[in-house]
Amino acid sequence: MAKITLKVNGEQRSAEVEDRTLLANFLRDELKLTGTHVGCDTSQCGACTVHVDGRAVKSCTMLAAQAEGCEVVTIEGLAKNGKLHPAQAAFTECHALQCGFCTPGMIMTTAALIKEHPQPTDEQIIHGLEGNLCRCTGYLNIVKAVKHAAELQKAK
Amino acid sequence: MDTHHSHLFEVGGAKLARLEDLRLIKGEGRYAADWALPNQAHAAFLRSDRAHAKILSVNTDAARKAKGVLAVLTGEDAVKAGYVKPLSMLTFAGKDGRKASIPERPVLAHGRVRFVGDLVALVIAETALQAQDATELIEVDYEDLPAVVSPRATLEPGAPQLHDNVPGNLCFEQEAGDAAAVEAAFAKAAHVTKLRLDVTRVAPNPMEPRACAVAFDAASGKFTVHSPVQGINMMRMQLAAYTGVADDKIEVIARDVGGGFGQRSIGYPEYVALMLGAKTLGRPVKWVSSRSEGFLSDSHGRANYIDGELALDKDGSFLGMRIDWIADLGAYLHPAGPVSPMRNPVTCLNGVYKTQALYGRWRVALTNTVPVSAYRGAARPEIAFAIERLVDEAAAQMKIDPAEIRRRNFIPADAFPYKTPTGSVYDIADFHGVLDKAMKLADVAGFPKRRAESEKRGMIRGLGFSTVIENSGAGMFPKDEIRLEVHADGSITAYSVSHSQGQGHETTFAQIIGDGLGIPAERIRLRQGIGEQGLIGNHTGGSRTIVGAGTVCSIAAKKLIETATPLAAEQLGVEPSQVAYGHGEFKSTASNRKITLGELAAKKPLVVTGEGKFGSTFPNGCHVAEIEIDPQTGVTEVVAYVTVDDCGTVINHTIVEGQMHGAVAQGWGQIFGENIVYDPETGQMLSGSFMDYTMPKAGWIKDITIAEHTTFGTISPLGVKGMGESGCTASLAALTNAMMNALRPLGVPPLDMPLTAHKVWQAITAAKKGK
Amino acid sequence: MYSFQYRKAKSLAEAGEVLARDGDAKPLSGGMTLIPTLKQRLAQPTQLVDIAGLPELAGIDNKNGELTIGAATRHAVVAASKVVQDAIPALACLAAGIGDPQVRNRGTLGGSVANNDPAADYPAAVLALNAKVITTKREIAAADFFQGMFTTALEPGELIVKIAFPLPKSAAYCKFPHPASGYAMAGVFIAQTADGLRVAVTGAGASGVFRWTEAEQALAKGISAAAIEKLTLAADDINEDIHGTREYRAQLVKVMATRAAAALSGKK
Repeated sequence: MAKITLKVNGEQRSAEVEDRTLLANFLRDELKLTGTHVGCDTSQCGACTVHVDGRAVKSCTMLAAQAEGCEVVTIEGLAKNGKLHPAQAAFTECHALQCGFCTPGMIMTTAALIKEHPQPTDEQIIHGLEGNLCRCTGYLNIVKAVKHAAELQKAK
Repeated sequence: MDTHHSHLFEVGGAKLARLEDLRLIKGEGRYAADWALPNQAHAAFLRSDRAHAKILSVNTDAARKAKGVLAVLTGEDAVKAGYVKPLSMLTFAGKDGRKASIPERPVLAHGRVRFVGDLVALVIAETALQAQDATELIEVDYEDLPAVVSPRATLEPGAPQLHDNVPGNLCFEQEAGDAAAVEAAFAKAAHVTKLRLDVTRVAPNPMEPRACAVAFDAASGKFTVHSPVQGINMMRMQLAAYTGVADDKIEVIARDVGGGFGQRSIGYPEYVALMLGAKTLGRPVKWVSSRSEGFLSDSHGRANYIDGELALDKDGSFLGMRIDWIADLGAYLHPAGPVSPMRNPVTCLNGVYKTQALYGRWRVALTNTVPVSAYRGAARPEIAFAIERLVDEAAAQMKIDPAEIRRRNFIPADAFPYKTPTGSVYDIADFHGVLDKAMKLADVAGFPKRRAESEKRGMIRGLGFSTVIENSGAGMFPKDEIRLEVHADGSITAYSVSHSQGQGHETTFAQIIGDGLGIPAERIRLRQGIGEQGLIGNHTGGSRTIVGAGTVCSIAAKKLIETATPLAAEQLGVEPSQVAYGHGEFKSTASNRKITLGELAAKKPLVVTGEGKFGSTFPNGCHVAEIEIDPQTGVTEVVAYVTVDDCGTVINHTIVEGQMHGAVAQGWGQIFGENIVYDPETGQMLSGSFMDYTMPKAGWIKDITIAEHTTFGTISPLGVKGMGESGCTASLAALTNAMMNALRPLGVPPLDMPLTAHKVWQAITAAKKGK
Repeated sequence: MYSFQYRKAKSLAEAGEVLARDGDAKPLSGGMTLIPTLKQRLAQPTQLVDIAGLPELAGIDNKNGELTIGAATRHAVVAASKVVQDAIPALACLAAGIGDPQVRNRGTLGGSVANNDPAADYPAAVLALNAKVITTKREIAAADFFQGMFTTALEPGELIVKIAFPLPKSAAYCKFPHPASGYAMAGVFIAQTADGLRVAVTGAGASGVFRWTEAEQALAKGISAAAIEKLTLAADDINEDIHGTREYRAQLVKVMATRAAAALSGKK
């Protein structure tokens, strides 16, 4: 068993888990943060994307123990003071979600993407979404939403 | 009616494109794996690692003793419980009046496994990891049997036999049309085009993996099943049939569903095994599938293997069409699996054309593969693909312009309602108008110039299109009901059986109801998947929701006003005829007095149930694809894509466009990469993960131009026709026709999907060598 | 995943000791290949020794004509590093194209090279640039390091500390990613080094990364796309699976080499 302590969405959290516990399962099962979804087991779909120390990572391909001492932000922690993050607002305004299952991962990836590229080109967006799969939208509105998120971020 | 909101909905300070979005973008959706039942145990399945084998023995001793293990169930338990026969909806008679041979399927395999992934045992433990660990301790002694994965080979004499009661692996055979008339048409034809038109096996892959949590209450004998659904009634009916448990002893609960595409409408054996597990153990049991497990156990789609022939006169008029169709259903039959390929192609066998002589033969075959069921379009894309490929090849062979050959054969706009040779009635359409608009939007006239420009860069350009029609589903339940409940604050809760898996029912239904009542859509909240409501209605599927449940939303709104008017009159102290309704309130025409819907509801519960029953509608459209191939790598880029669709009245353009994007992307996936591949010898799946199975990714296309060409449908008073599947129906043929338009001049013969870069490069290379 | 013990190494020495003592223990760096492998239950290590945070494995340095990158440096860091971009832009570009953003934020140079996946990108750069793999025990020349699919010269308990890339006169990398996995179906790294022009190929070889000597000879006479176009890569030692025949992969190698050569000749 591994005892781990980390900051999740700004709050210090501790738990004892099996060493083999994945960060995604830790967030979902231990902390009940079920907004982080698991859509595959080969690290392809990105539904489980969270931020660890400010970087987008796939929480299904990381042990909870590896996040010891880290700062983790999940979809539940993205909105601040009841105000949606630009990526969240852009996704709905552009109709970039349908079933919503890939959405938390897409939004977390987008939030990191527009931080790195405040004015992303189409190519940067497409390259930046390579680690996220969506089955509903055909991605067209997602690409639009990333662009719009960058605009909203700038306007903020 | 056109209630498209050009503005966004405002809810809780957020601007939303859809009313369901707020919780989903905040991570507050609740999907199947998010349920945690009190005191729940966790399940894992042991699956067959071979395609076909006798089970000689199953030893579970070590697994039972493993840490945390609470129970292990095997095929014996399934047989003992009598959970051996899934519902079959293939109840109609086929060729010579013969009924289908339906194989049994104990929910845990008994005596024999028939595909890689077949369920062998259920392990229940305190944690999911413990359950998974213990599955490896189960010792199964198998005697391997020869396997067959090819749908054509399985029907050959001498093929390995899957089920004793299905001789020749042929479950069912049917014919439709007029064989003699077709014979005569071909005899006098000036030209015959013949093609193999296989629509290969794909994995629907909604992004949410399956999950199911089951609780059993011994005192009442009631099961509660949490699983993804497309409608709770469809799920409950299948679980009840499999178990023999009465309908009212099974409650199905679902909230957010992470994509369905047909794959979530099935009452899977896993769910039934979990019911048995929960009952045996006396504790709730939860199972969450992995994607790898999903590839091996979630229903596959398409897998229809078609040979087609089109007979034409010297002017390119279609004299007759003949098809021979094998539907590969896998190792067992899912309840509705074989119904779609037997029904939908017959309904639209003539496509958009006035072809009079039609004949088809359909056979339902079994193979040692994952069972197949409906996938977005459910055999509508297949028949459209077959017809539109034949038409396009015929045009090329006869050197007739592909738009012109279609125009010559279209059912003209003044011929509606049009009775087809196979008995359908197309109510209304304008195929010429649809085609003309699409040709203009796609700038077909400018294509030769663009092709020449590509050629200069060493690239090969092609343009192709399809003009298609499909039947939206009439629905298997006797009617669709929508219940409206008015609250004291004037807001309304609507209840529906038809369950959204992303289609946006919460928004569209609210718009229709809001329109009917003259109140903002934001005031209406839709609830789906609430078992205790006892409503009758169809699940979401066959593009039917807007026609059925959607139309009933409008009926229910009208009924609410009718029901409330006398109540309002009583409150206002006037006759009902002296009451006028508008914007959520009743006004007395005799005085200034008024009362709102909310105020009425505060006095006495105000609940109405609207209902309706509607037949098939016929959405149709034309899609134009323009592609560019890099001959060095075989990589194809879709450089332009135009859709012109007639889905009748559009309630929400944003949602309709989103549906089109997604469906065309799925068509692209099937044509350019998606493919379930089995090793022909061992029956092992070679494409069982996202590492090997090519899902569409961002950037597969830069843009899609979407236009509408509306004729108002006559089946629903709203004029709607449905559109969830039309993107799949049209895109398979449009994309393939564009590819063949590019490749044909090089001498490349018709290619089978998927047209991977590898295959395209091989074809170009072979054609060059041949020259 | 089977059960295992997770252990965060406090030092490189400790990690080496644990790994040498327990043959079934495995080092864990970014985990981008190892964790999916464990999830598929394709490996059953007793312990995972996490070395990702060790300061000995960090750092990017350009001096004495060599670019040295610590083994635990993540792909995203390599891609964004000004030092790497200035020294060997093709290497930064290669790193920016590995997997996807989330993978690049976790995966490490050392992990990728030690794993020697036949479809990984880094081995092509290491071999083409004639880099030295510096381990806890010794320095290994690139040519000696890669020993076939998933096989390297590393001994039990031996860990990569850093990799030293001699600065080339110029270099370019072109890859054809698999449409599903994103791994290279063919990746070609061309470098003009002090030891001559070198062409390394990943993704296609039946025994992992290899040098394409015919291409080296052809390009030595002058770098141009045309020089490659005349060649045919023998398909005998090329990998074949459901995604591509030998002939197709050989063709992709040729096309990627042509494009890399074109990029190089354009740069000059």
